[in-house]
Amino acid sequence: MTAVEHVPATKSGWFNSKVFAKLAIRLGAFAAFAGIMIYFALTARGFTSTYNMINVVEQSAILGFLAFAMTVVFIGTGTDVQKGGIDLSIAANAGLCAAVYAVMMREGYGNFVAIPAAIGTGMVIGFFNGLAVVTLKIMPLLGTLAVMNIAAGLELTLTENTVVPVQSDLMNVLAFGRFLGISTLAWCLIIGSVLLVWAVHYSKIGLRLYAVGGHIEAARAAGINTGRYVYGAYIFSGFMAGVASILIVSRLSSSTPGTGLMLLPILAAALLGTVFSRRFIPTIGGTLLAALFIGFLANGFQLLGISSYWVSGVQGALILLVVTVTSFAKKH
Amino acid sequence: MTNQTDTAVRESRFSLEAASNYAVILAFVAVVIFFTFAAPGFMTGENIFNLISNKVVLLAIVALGMTIVIGAGGIDLSVGVSIDLSSMIFIMMIAAGYMGAFAVMGGLGAAFCVGLLNAFLINKLKINPFLATLGVLFIGKSIQQLSTQGGVPIYLTRAEYAAPFDAIARTSLLGIPTPIIVLIVCIIGVYLALHRSVFGRYVAALGAQADVARYSGIRVPFNMSVVFISCAVLSGVTGILLSSTVRSYVPLAGDAFLLDAIGATFIGTAISAERRPSVLGTLIGVALLAVMRNGLLLIGWNFFWQQVGIGVLVFLVLGLSFGLRKRAE
Repeated sequence: MTAVEHVPATKSGWFNSKVFAKLAIRLGAFAAFAGIMIYFALTARGFTSTYNMINVVEQSAILGFLAFAMTVVFIGTGTDVQKGGIDLSIAANAGLCAAVYAVMMREGYGNFVAIPAAIGTGMVIGFFNGLAVVTLKIMPLLGTLAVMNIAAGLELTLTENTVVPVQSDLMNVLAFGRFLGISTLAWCLIIGSVLLVWAVHYSKIGLRLYAVGGHIEAARAAGINTGRYVYGAYIFSGFMAGVASILIVSRLSSSTPGTGLMLLPILAAALLGTVFSRRFIPTIGGTLLAALFIGFLANGFQLLGISSYWVSGVQGALILLVVTVTSFAKKH
Repeated sequence: MTNQTDTAVRESRFSLEAASNYAVILAFVAVVIFFTFAAPGFMTGENIFNLISNKVVLLAIVALGMTIVIGAGGIDLSVGVSIDLSSMIFIMMIAAGYMGAFAVMGGLGAAFCVGLLNAFLINKLKINPFLATLGVLFIGKSIQQLSTQGGVPIYLTRAEYAAPFDAIARTSLLGIPTPIIVLIVCIIGVYLALHRSVFGRYVAALGAQADVARYSGIRVPFNMSVVFISCAVLSGVTGILLSSTVRSYVPLAGDAFLLDAIGATFIGTAISAERRPSVLGTLIGVALLAVMRNGLLLIGWNFFWQQVGIGVLVFLVLGLSFGLRKRAE
């Protein structure tokens, strides 16, 4: 890529060259991120304080984990949103896992039982997504929609639509603990990102996952058991929902109805993330940047005193902008 | 690959495929029979009448719009926005003292604008329908929050406002309540448009092979615009019927229709051998969902368990229908 960028002017001049357009858009995405950060830094008091920065990273941890899960599903099943894969059940699944964890803690089971139970629940829901998409060959949009309904309904039956408070030492460590001046939640995001970047971008499994998502027939012809990878992507997504649910409970000290509403920001983060990658494909790094971007945006709005009612509209406009720009870039 | 072997293969898989085509209808009949025996109040004239005039009408009109969109190979996640904005403008105009007819036109106009925005994003900016309507869904949420101080409902229950609402929700023609007549008109209109007109052939072509449709000279942007605007306006009709029935506008209430409309349309695709959306299929899908909700309520399941039950049912029906068919291939 970098070598190509220095190719001297062709007939049409290098301003018109495709490479330049692509580069401009990529840099544009980073520049937009940087520009908004600088704007907030100059206008919003307290935006640049360490406390605020860490606070945003903490807030982004939960969104980041769930958006990572969506990213892995996108990678393993192709990015065509309608025919390719998607996991609409992620947010509802996280809500269900949080409910399982909170209710088990309330019933007196310890963390050693409740945490595996929560994560296990997430993986079972993920397995059902895989069953729907791979074995029963239901369209992903539809299969995961049905599973989302089931997960959301189970969460409500477990909690009866109430807040289930949780008190435990582990929750205190996660919510208030600090190490090297950085809070536990922020550490979770950092460590989770590093592990996932390795697994997705530097391991055999990750490479094959991209192959399955990129061209499933070619991957099958190359001897990859594609069904197993798609199953794996959905079960992993459920696993991440389980992990995120523990973080959700620790941050709110309870399991709270309404986790399912996070689906839209998750989709936004995973889709926005593609603009930060070289070939406009889903990547862990891109999703991390996008999740932070969404976090900083909401935070900056708050500090500037702009009504939070604008946030969803701005997210929607951003998605449309990003998709327009990337489809333009892909065409040229 | 000759015709003969093709026919032979088709005959051998006939039974499975036939079974998969009837899965939804069998499920519907089974569910109705089950609730007739399990829930004493289910098979009464009053219950069925209430079910149709309160639940089926609203969902069916949205689902008809969704059928057009999915038939054309798209999807519309913003039906909730069309419902809500139509309902919001309608109620606000009534509150401001406009005549009922103007308020209805205002509401439908708002829905039309949502459809127009979708069409612009899809045709001009070349965004795929899922993402375009997802963006509109976000923006619609903000618009509603900003115009209602974060989501405060508007109730117009005082008697002075009653006239326009009663004219829509409480009148009847030849003994049939107006909302049901509106539904019948919508069904006939969408049926003629989709199954008995040139436009319907274009929609089918777009849904089956968009590229081929384009190369055959079909005006894709124009037809896509008609598709998305019809869906939005039909959703707007639901918005007006909804707010006339409850005499209020509750922000973001339309979101509840999205999943059911998509679910009903796709359940409906199971009755056709090609798995294409159709008006009849969608109506069966709507009826199945409505009967499930009503029946589960009558046998004493609360709202939470109903959601689980319906999720499981949709999962099973889709699994049967898609799974059997794919296996037959």
